[in-house]
Amino acid sequence: MMMRGMIMTTESQTFTEKYDLLGCIQCGRCTGGCPVTVRADLNVRQFVNDAYDEEKLDELARLAEIWDCTACHTCAVRCPKGLKPLEVLIGLRSMIVESGKVEPTVRDALQSVLLEGNPWENPRAARQDWMEGLDVRIAEPGEHVENLFFVCCTNCYDPRVQVTAKNMVKILNKAGVDYAFLPEDESCCGSEVFTIGEEGLFEMTVEDNTEFLNEFSADRLVTLSPHCFTTYRTHFPDLKFPVIHYTQLMDELIQEGKLAWKGELPKRIVYHDPCYLGKQGGIYDEPRRVLKSIPGVELLEFDRKRERSLCCEGGGGKMWVESESRKERLADTRIKNAKELEADIVAAACPFCVLTLEDAMKGLGYEEEMRVAEIMELLGEFVEA
Amino acid sequence: MKTVVCIKYVPDTSEAEVKVNPDGKTVDDSRFSFDINDADNYAVEESVLIKEDKGGEVDVLSIGPKQSEVMIRMAMAKGCDRATRVEDDRIAEHDPLLVAKVLAGALKEKEFDLVFTGCWGDDFNHMSTGVALAEYLGVNHASMVKKVEVLDGKVRAHRELEGGLMEVVELELPAVLTIQTGINEPRYAPIRGIRQAQKKELNVVSLDDLGVDPAEVSVDASQVVLENLYIPEVESAAEFIEGEPEEKAEKLASILTKGGLV
Amino acid sequence: MGDILVLAEHRQGVLRDISFEMMAIAPKVAEAMGGEVKVLVIGSGIDELAKKMSEYGVKVIAVDDQLFEDFNAEKYQKALSALLDDLKPAVLMTGQTAQGVDFMPALAVEKNLPYVAEAIDINYEDGTLKATRNIYSGKVNATVAFKPADTCLVTIREGAVEAPEPAASGDVEKMDSPLKEDIPYRKFVEYIEAEVGDVDITQSEILVSVGRGLKEDKNLPDIEELAKAIKADIAGSRAATDAGWIPHDRQVGTSGKTVKPKLYLALGISGAFQHLAGMKGAKTIVAVNKDPEAPIFAVADYAIVDDMFKVVPALTEKLKELKG
Repeated sequence: MMMRGMIMTTESQTFTEKYDLLGCIQCGRCTGGCPVTVRADLNVRQFVNDAYDEEKLDELARLAEIWDCTACHTCAVRCPKGLKPLEVLIGLRSMIVESGKVEPTVRDALQSVLLEGNPWENPRAARQDWMEGLDVRIAEPGEHVENLFFVCCTNCYDPRVQVTAKNMVKILNKAGVDYAFLPEDESCCGSEVFTIGEEGLFEMTVEDNTEFLNEFSADRLVTLSPHCFTTYRTHFPDLKFPVIHYTQLMDELIQEGKLAWKGELPKRIVYHDPCYLGKQGGIYDEPRRVLKSIPGVELLEFDRKRERSLCCEGGGGKMWVESESRKERLADTRIKNAKELEADIVAAACPFCVLTLEDAMKGLGYEEEMRVAEIMELLGEFVEA
Repeated sequence: MKTVVCIKYVPDTSEAEVKVNPDGKTVDDSRFSFDINDADNYAVEESVLIKEDKGGEVDVLSIGPKQSEVMIRMAMAKGCDRATRVEDDRIAEHDPLLVAKVLAGALKEKEFDLVFTGCWGDDFNHMSTGVALAEYLGVNHASMVKKVEVLDGKVRAHRELEGGLMEVVELELPAVLTIQTGINEPRYAPIRGIRQAQKKELNVVSLDDLGVDPAEVSVDASQVVLENLYIPEVESAAEFIEGEPEEKAEKLASILTKGGLV
Repeated sequence: MGDILVLAEHRQGVLRDISFEMMAIAPKVAEAMGGEVKVLVIGSGIDELAKKMSEYGVKVIAVDDQLFEDFNAEKYQKALSALLDDLKPAVLMTGQTAQGVDFMPALAVEKNLPYVAEAIDINYEDGTLKATRNIYSGKVNATVAFKPADTCLVTIREGAVEAPEPAASGDVEKMDSPLKEDIPYRKFVEYIEAEVGDVDITQSEILVSVGRGLKEDKNLPDIEELAKAIKADIAGSRAATDAGWIPHDRQVGTSGKTVKPKLYLALGISGAFQHLAGMKGAKTIVAVNKDPEAPIFAVADYAIVDDMFKVVPALTEKLKELKG
């Protein structure tokens, strides 16, 4: 276990102060835009209103719907006062986490982050097993590199999305990019730890990862998951280098003519904006340009796109918490929309989006006519490597 | 109530590939993840639940390396009050009777009403340490306990027998209970709790500190000799169905229907 | 000398399978050691049980006393302590059961004798008694040798071997209880039968059984759909019932139910031996597990190494199609 950081936070702030509840004008734009309202009984505006009453907090924290929030940040994007209503829900989750009475799945995921550096209950020693058979350059502290890669726990361990990292290595090698991947001490960025509300573990993650990453010398940190991308950008103030998402790098390489295409993909592709890349990172154009540059591709758009993109429900710790609501999953809605557009491929640039959308696609029985793909998957197939 | 809970730091081999080291007596644990033994985790929770219900204190006792302290701190974060970690490489780890003897040595000066252990270890599955410990301590015991009711000067233990039958026994305190998994729902140890638990007392002791004669608990003292470890040949008669997941499903569906199995 | 004393196990008037299974191991060890097998039956009103054990052509020692009406670890330990002094067997063997584990370690400590728990086999070679154990999630075997001692204590894993058929008749010798009075500090109170749910899985023709691989209960609908498609009942391993995904009365294994369905589909079950002991009597076993080393494959007839969530929905669809 890494436990270098030992800083305690000041507990003197009240809940109202911490989340600036008095800044709220109860306009309701948060709830109005919240994608989860059609899926579950979550009214985030009401929570912001009710949380003002400190005596009511325990009761609020016990409501099941606080776990329905996917941390997509639509509410934060829309709030005219610049508040983050979702963080009120995360604050309530924290109270449950601190009591220890979380769902066993959440308990095991958090404990795995602490003990093994990933939420998937996989051994740290297996973190780089995906590299087997590949010629991967590994970073050395102090040795400068232009692009330092952070793989993400899900891409490391989940066999479905390991392809993202594998294809990246092959393409980088071929394109002659100056890069290196982090050694196996790489640990979870803490994105889900933050949204689950494990504040102590998140603080420790920020401290430990900052120290670990800053040992390396790079022009920038390239993340393969939008969750790591946004988490490093927003919660790691002391990181020495800027953070980008891989779609930005791929866009650059394509503009510079460093990627050679092979074959054609004469398919209708609709791009799904991951919340952590778009709404939270402002990256909308690069992934679209990358997809459009694949020869033969016809790029479609969802009605709900860019800032209005519909969340897949993969974030906010939802990989470990099932909603009590039995209403249609947002990922199902998304796939049905793609079907209406007669898309052949739903492309995303996020491991969680790929996993949730593909589940939905299979559940709806569209395997024969539709495919869910990571952008790196398509690049792996159509870029010379 | 004064409770002592004995816990062990073990590798998770349930999904890992296990290789025997060239010495033939140990396994390569470099790629394993380690954590508290599953049943011991339930024992910790049960001890904390009893403390919350009846008041009192819980002491943690463990034999293990420095790395196991994270597990001990987690137990403390959940509500255990103090801990003793025995670290001494002279202990014959393969022999649960000698491990119990060391634990007994660590408890001989202590007052307690209850001692909990997990009912079995995920690594060696002896199911012996707790019962042997009771004998060394000269106190009552019950093994495979799935429900604990603390009464006045007594404890009522529901032992889980084969077939789901419960055997209810009543023991005079003090007593050792070996705890079965599923008795409760172990809670999460939040990091802030773990950090606060850094302030709790954790004594690291050797056999000498405990006044246990190393010669009595060493490999030489053991009456059994671990001769060798080996990977058993799996005599599987299974037909392995190959292909992509969907192909496998299709082949299996066809086997089951053609064979009249469904 | 070199006798093997086998303590038979019974409960509520019925001998348990482990008592017969030990008859597959004890005779070969006795022969190698130049001794004979003696079976000890302790209880109250046990004539029938003693006679049944004697049908293995062995000498049965019956300690029949009111004091032993119900199992009590303390009383067993006291009785055996005295009987070991008296009979001086080379080996005392019983089952690694809720009964065996409750007194054998204490007896070994009390008598300062070597003890090996949960052997899957025992052999006597070149003057040394050796036990084979199965450890680390069933993936490694260990050979453990007993150092020379008056009596070696060992427990045998349930279901490790098949019970032989009875061979010949033997004698029953009654022996007075070495224990003369009740003990006050440990009392048997009662047995509580497991709650009976809506389905009795021991009677099921087809079982779809899930383990730790289910990961969370939100994944149950996939399993329910498969079960519905093939008219199966759903059961689970200990991990699945501990997690609350499956009711306790549907747990398969030594601490749950022993099942013998026509078809057993083990999904995401690694196959801890306690589980295997409860289901290996199934006529056809299908196992789906992503760990190729999973012990469940050793007992399976059809095996799929893959993620159950990739296989199960497809399997359900195909089965629905094929069954029309």
